[in-house]
Amino acid sequence: MLLELRDVNSFYGNTPILRNISFDLDEGQCLAVLGRNGVGKTTLMRTIMGLTTRMTGSLSIAGKDASRMPTYLRSQAGFGYIPQGRGILGKFTVRENIQLGTFARHDRKTSIPPMCLELFPYLAENLAKRAGLLSGGQQQQLAIARALATDPKVLLLDEPTEGIQPNIVQEIERTLHRLNKEVGLTLILTEQHIKVARELADKFIIMDTGRVVAQGPIAELSNDLIEQHLTL
Amino acid sequence: MSVHDFWTPFSAGPFVNSLLIGLTLGAIWLLAALGLTIIYGTMGVINMAHGEFIMVGAYFTFMMQSMAGIPWLLCLPLAFIGVAILGWIVERLLIRYLYHRPLDTLLATWGVSLILVQGVRLIFGGEPQYVEVQPAALRESASIAFVHIPWLRIFILGATLALAAGTWAILYKTVYGVRVRAVMQNKEMAASFGINAQNVYGMTFAYGAGLAGVAGAMFGGLKTVFPDMGLGYIVEAFLVVVTGGGHLFGSIYSSAILGELNSVFSYFTNTTFARFVLFVLIVVFLRFFPQGLFPEAKARR
Repeated sequence: MLLELRDVNSFYGNTPILRNISFDLDEGQCLAVLGRNGVGKTTLMRTIMGLTTRMTGSLSIAGKDASRMPTYLRSQAGFGYIPQGRGILGKFTVRENIQLGTFARHDRKTSIPPMCLELFPYLAENLAKRAGLLSGGQQQQLAIARALATDPKVLLLDEPTEGIQPNIVQEIERTLHRLNKEVGLTLILTEQHIKVARELADKFIIMDTGRVVAQGPIAELSNDLIEQHLTL
Repeated sequence: MSVHDFWTPFSAGPFVNSLLIGLTLGAIWLLAALGLTIIYGTMGVINMAHGEFIMVGAYFTFMMQSMAGIPWLLCLPLAFIGVAILGWIVERLLIRYLYHRPLDTLLATWGVSLILVQGVRLIFGGEPQYVEVQPAALRESASIAFVHIPWLRIFILGATLALAAGTWAILYKTVYGVRVRAVMQNKEMAASFGINAQNVYGMTFAYGAGLAGVAGAMFGGLKTVFPDMGLGYIVEAFLVVVTGGGHLFGSIYSSAILGELNSVFSYFTNTTFARFVLFVLIVVFLRFFPQGLFPEAKARR
């Protein structure tokens, strides 16, 4: 088991946002985190990265307990984070943004891994460009490249296709498919689009008001469940 | 007092001399403001104890000279290291707990400044001490035609430019600088990619304090050393930082402009009136450009 969450509660200030979240994930699997807006999907990602005020319960990655680690150690433990809104540093060049990812590497190399540039030729051609000048889709590619530069065990993707023009959405989906199926990277993906989740994911969890209300292999994601928890 | 006593008419030679003096004055202000700029620009902390870090640097230099006989030029890097360690301790014990509370950092660093002033007064007494600038040639003036400038001021100008250039190189040309600038832009994202922001803050505060230390070592040779000497530099240092907008290039430009303005007004009137005019100009300037000369760096908080 690569990743395990047991009875995770998460807080902003003293307000509990997530309650009793438990799931696990094997290496190479893709987990889709589903749910309506505001049910805690992003908070789940932030909790895994240690960006909420505090968490209780246990979180382990590759057998190591990460639940007490500060954020910078979690990233070094193998979480590659692609946040909602992409979190690109706009004043940095494309190269510096990818270089930022290398700071979380175990081997302390600061050179840009070749895979980052192979996947995204546009970035390779514009390394000296200020990242703030890129379009939304290009920034999303940069965010993925930056997370890959950390040499992650698990890639956390928070709404990777949100607010991006359709032709780039497909490109990003293809990239994720390749990373998961060919490179064998483990993914956790929050998604609004059920179709994308069905294509990519092996497992799903559905969240509602800070709890996991359903989970299982993706084949069990029935129309009833979708009707009950995901339609407006 | 007649108008003629107050107003010095223009005369090319002395005017050029005062322009050069203004440049060295700007350098002194920049030297005092460098550490403050780095600490404010990176961490958003307004360090009220910065003047006292300068004072400690001066006393540290005085001690190294009078007790260990260390030559002045060697005292400069040692003062940097000594005060940097002091700054690092202050950050670890105090500032790190107050990052989300800017008003409290203001108060806390002011408290540190009081402790340092009284501590130094208890140990050394209130009477002025002297730092001896070596080699002796630095104590003389450069005189070429109508230009008369103390060598020490020229030395300070050069040293300040070197320190500013070095700081720029660390920030923009090293991997460590990428870490610092990443934390400046987005602390959460920096942490999400393996950067220990606490550590970066500690080192940055230590570096800024070290710059104050080396400034103190030079100012000690320029004027007398006494417990309250920090006050004499901190006002101008803050003016430079605020007018510049809180980042390195802003401080470099604003110190040069303010130093020249001060010197030009001093030439035509006198130093007291020049300071008055300067302060009025700054107030008017900030009324229309509250973000300073280069507002870009302030978009952060």
